[in-house]
Amino acid sequence: MARKKQEDPKAEMTPMIDVVFQLMIFFIVTIKQEDIFSKLNANRPAPNSSLSDSVENDTQINIQIGPRGFVFNGRGVSLPELRRNISKLAKTSTKSMVLVRCTLDSPHMYLVQALDACAENDMHNISIFSM
Amino acid sequence: MAKKPNNEDVSLDMTPMIDVVFQLIIFFVVTLKMSDDKDTTIKLEDGKAGIPLTQEELPPSQLTIDIAKNGRVSLSNITLSDQMLAQKIRERKDRYGAEFPCMIRADWRTKHRDVKRVMDICTANGVWKLSFVAIKEAKGSMAARKK
Repeated sequence: MARKKQEDPKAEMTPMIDVVFQLMIFFIVTIKQEDIFSKLNANRPAPNSSLSDSVENDTQINIQIGPRGFVFNGRGVSLPELRRNISKLAKTSTKSMVLVRCTLDSPHMYLVQALDACAENDMHNISIFSM
Repeated sequence: MAKKPNNEDVSLDMTPMIDVVFQLIIFFVVTLKMSDDKDTTIKLEDGKAGIPLTQEELPPSQLTIDIAKNGRVSLSNITLSDQMLAQKIRERKDRYGAEFPCMIRADWRTKHRDVKRVMDICTANGVWKLSFVAIKEAKGSMAARKK
C-alpha cells in the first residue's frame, strides 16, 4: 500500500479557520439579550377569609381594580394619579396595610401596576382579594 | 531616520488571530442558553420598582407558575391541570416548607379570574406569600414585554 510520506509538516490552517468562523457566526446569531425581571411580593389570604375578618382601621389603603382601571377611595383614577396618591400616603406611614381588590374580569396588567406603585413607595404589606 | 525593514515575512502570523477567535467562541458557548424552559408567548407588564430577579439568585426551591393569556397554566412549558398544580405545590411544600419562593408569571392580558384560580390553589395548600414576575428592564429585540 502506497503511503504518502512527503506531506507538508505544517498543518493546513484554512479549513480550521473556516469552521471556527462558522461557529462564531452561529453563536453570534443565536445569542440574545435576556430581559431583567423583577418580582413583586404580595400576600394572598385564604379563599374563605372574608374582608370583614381583617381588622378595619384607618391605616388601611384600599385599591380596587376593575376591568377598565383603578378605583381609589371610591373614585376612578389613572395610574399616575394612583401613584401620586400612594406616595402621598406612604409619607405618613409605609407600614399601612394595602388591600388590593380585583374583579374577575380585570386584566392582570392593572394588578401588576398597582403592586409596582406600592413597591415604588416601599409599601410591602399588601393583600390581594378577588371579588 | 530608520528605514522600514523590507524583508518582512510575506505569510501572516495566524496564531494571535486564532487565539482571539477561540476565546470568542468559548465566551459564546458559555453564555449561550439553548432552550428556554418557560412559556415564551407570555408578555409581561413593567414593574420597575420590584426586586430584581437574576437567574443566579433563584434558589432551587423556587416555583414559577406560568399563566398564558387564555388562562393555560404551565410549569416549565408543561401544561398542568388544577389538580396537578396542587400536587406540585404540595410536593414543594413538603420538601422546603411553605416559605419557598412561589412566583406567578402571568401575561398582562390574563384575566384576574385565571390568576385567582392559581392563587386559590396556592393558598388552599398553605402558600400565602406569592410574587408576581414583571419586567425590570427590557433588553434586546426579544423582549418579553407587552406591545
